Amino acid sequence: MKGTGGALFVEQLKAAGVEYIFFNPSTGDAPIYDAMVDQTDIHLIKGVQEGVVVAMADGYARASGKPGVAIVAAVGLPNAMTQLVNTYKDRIPLMLAMGVPAREAESRGGAQQYDGQETLLTPISKWAWRTESAAGLPDITRKALKFASTRPGGPVSLWLSEPGLREEATATIVDEAAFNTPISMRPNKADIETIARLLIEAKNPLLTVGDEITLAQGEREVRELAELLGLPVMGSAVLGQWSTPFPTRSPLFLGGLQANTPALGQVDIHLNVGSWLGEQTARGAKLISIRQDPATLGRATPVDMGVIADPKLACADLVEAVKSLATKDRLKKIADERTRRVADYTEKARKLRHDVAMQFSTGSPIRLNRLAFELEDFLDKDTIYVADLDSGRKMEPLMNFGGDDKMYIGNGPAVLGWGISAGLGVKLARPDKPVIALVGDGSFLFGGPQPLWSLSRYQAPITVMVLNNRSYNNERNRIWAFGGGSQLSRGLDMTCYNGSPDVDIAKTAQAFGVEAEQVNDPETIKAALGRAKRANIEGRPYLLEVVIERDGIGGASEWHPPFSIASLRTRKV
Amino acid sequence: MHKLFASAFVCIAMAAGGAAVAQPADNPLLPEGPGRDRVVAVCTSCHVSRAFAQVRENANGWKNQVSEMILIGAQVSPADMDAIVGYLSTAFGPGTRLPGPPSQAVDLPDGAAKILVLGSCARCHGLDRVAGAKRSPREWDHIVERMAFYGAPLDEGQRKTVVAYLTEHYAAK
Ligand code: HEC
Ligand code: HEC
Ligand SMILES: Cc1ncc(C[n+]2csc(CCOP(=O)(O)OP(=O)(O)O)c2C)c(N)n1
Ligand SMILES: [Mg+2]
Repeated sequence: MKGTGGALFVEQLKAAGVEYIFFNPSTGDAPIYDAMVDQTDIHLIKGVQEGVVVAMADGYARASGKPGVAIVAAVGLPNAMTQLVNTYKDRIPLMLAMGVPAREAESRGGAQQYDGQETLLTPISKWAWRTESAAGLPDITRKALKFASTRPGGPVSLWLSEPGLREEATATIVDEAAFNTPISMRPNKADIETIARLLIEAKNPLLTVGDEITLAQGEREVRELAELLGLPVMGSAVLGQWSTPFPTRSPLFLGGLQANTPALGQVDIHLNVGSWLGEQTARGAKLISIRQDPATLGRATPVDMGVIADPKLACADLVEAVKSLATKDRLKKIADERTRRVADYTEKARKLRHDVAMQFSTGSPIRLNRLAFELEDFLDKDTIYVADLDSGRKMEPLMNFGGDDKMYIGNGPAVLGWGISAGLGVKLARPDKPVIALVGDGSFLFGGPQPLWSLSRYQAPITVMVLNNRSYNNERNRIWAFGGGSQLSRGLDMTCYNGSPDVDIAKTAQAFGVEAEQVNDPETIKAALGRAKRANIEGRPYLLEVVIERDGIGGASEWHPPFSIASLRTRKV
Repeated sequence: MHKLFASAFVCIAMAAGGAAVAQPADNPLLPEGPGRDRVVAVCTSCHVSRAFAQVRENANGWKNQVSEMILIGAQVSPADMDAIVGYLSTAFGPGTRLPGPPSQAVDLPDGAAKILVLGSCARCHGLDRVAGAKRSPREWDHIVERMAFYGAPLDEGQRKTVVAYLTEHYAAK
């Protein structure tokens, strides 16, 4: 094909199956946008801050399994980087491109250039390259997309030479199948047999699960394995995990990762599948870890047996091996006995959580327990629940995710300001699913109001819920509880109270053309969710600002260090 | 092995960083007493014992605190609930010494509730925590309610008197 570098770039993206370009423009990128004028199968989605652009592309990639493509102005790169940390740590495929002047021009030092700018991305890019000519652009674009999606995936960055975008050239455009062959990392047969034997013979086994299962779409296989052997399962974490690969409703599911498992007692065989964190919950058991990421396998904790494989294939192979090593009857007996033990605990624990939460679920400001009950009751099971929360994560044990329940999409490293933008990206990937995006007031303000602009512009029919406790609430809880320094001993919250000024978040949304309301009374949550759902059905976004209780240590405090700049003045100017 | 994890997890749980507090193998902050082994097993899986060893509450308060932890995943079996709350409210009940340096002395202004504040508010922490900041009436009201819930021995009328006193002497403008 013949065309400008910009046109060749767009054609190559299309041939690779890219449907959306998330962007914020700069002058030098213009040839790309020129090439978009007559396009109908690839669309531009604008974000008015680069963090929004990246988080939208990231949400899209998490929900679609396809690489997100983002283009931002090089001067705005540092804005994009904050959100790119979520993408990098969670191994989400994404291509971030920026236009840059020709090398020689750059060496002269322009108003917006600084030497070594490209190295900014080094620690958080899986791969980075610079294109020089139009002729070479499609080829490098292919490599970038390939490296982004080859597992373990991650963000890659492209520095597009602006003269290369403008000039005309002829280059071949290649369909994705010809350059991006999916890898199937089948585990070694002998390893699988060893593991299968250990799992059958184990006295007190444990399975920990992580995001690599979600990335490999291996949820069904891991569940089959757990059910075949009656393995108790732990997964999810406050930090470091972004999905729920195992149905939390299952009687085998013990909850979040932690070091002790009082409910089980001393574990003898610990199988970890697809979780870097799961390995770190080593508990004196024999630790077997099946991972698709060689770089983090055994990185923090030594493992007794490490296997690099696709978690989906590994679980499927384990199921077969287990079945071939023991009779149906024997397996059933083992599974029944183990399942009974763990289900006995999980059922009681579920009831205990429910009863405890019921005791503390009334009153205004609304308590998280109450909100959890209302959400669990109201949300359709096919809802995608996009969470960029801190305190709000305390609702999760009272709700159900994974399997036939709601799909959970979060951000492992919890770099805040992600949720609303990611929610838009998720909706774009799965337009026929209800989407709710939840953020704290802190997270809302990190993301800024800017994602509201994109929601409004593109009529993204999602519900946004802001849990406003007027505080970095859980940050204070951790500082006071784990640090125990003079802020606690003197009762002075130096850093976390946000309620002065008390930002009217609903009004902020309205300023961007997003319908919104504040919810204060627990009795009105359901009706408010209903109004949000109605707006979504009619094709409009809706924001609910739910005023929630500040809970935990120091939660009653509203004090913050008094300081006024106006009072510094010696004359009234 | 899990001790290593306990400190690593504090790191994890601490989100934005901050040094992990190492968990000494013998949990010196946890005095001997019935229920201690359950507390060590259940309550040091995610964070160090300091998180609760520095808090003072009566049985009601501790029951609530343990409930909060159950909600976020602490594996408390209903049968152990009483032993855990019993240990915590004995080892870390009102009147037991706080870890760390002694609190700073505070001269409370004279007033109707001085005696109430001296008698009830210094049972769980220093008066420097009480008199450390100027606060709005609404905030004093919330705080005194909360302290009563934790175990400050004040009836409704006494709470009103204390709030009025604190609002008078430690009021935010
Ligand atoms: C599943 C992990 C986990 C377990 C197990 C756990 N905690 Fe916590 N704890 C936390 C986290 C996380 C916080 C920080 C803030 C929060 O979520 O409230 C915390 C905070 C606290 C606080 C400070 C007050 C607060 O709410 O912030 C106390 C006190 C406490 N824990 C006591 C306990 C006790 C007692 C136990 C045993 C019954 C326990 N914890 C078991 C995770 C845990
Ligand atoms: C039964 C134990 C107990 C008693 C009695 C008690 N406190 Fe507290 N106090 C606490 C604990 C625990 C905290 C830690 C923070 C929290 O959970 O609010 C605290 C914290 C505080 C703070 C810091 C701000 C805040 O909200 O955390 C103030 C101020 C305070 N107390 C005032 C008082 C006053 C005034 C009284 C007397 C009416 C009192 N306390 C009596 C246990 C107690
Ligand atoms: C971009 C970013 N900056 C700073 C932090 C550190 N941090 C962790 S939690 C938190 C406060 C969160 O406040 P909010 O979203 O309101 O949550 P909640 O009050 O419900 O705990 C902060 C600042 C972060 N995780 N991400
Ligand atoms: Mg908040």
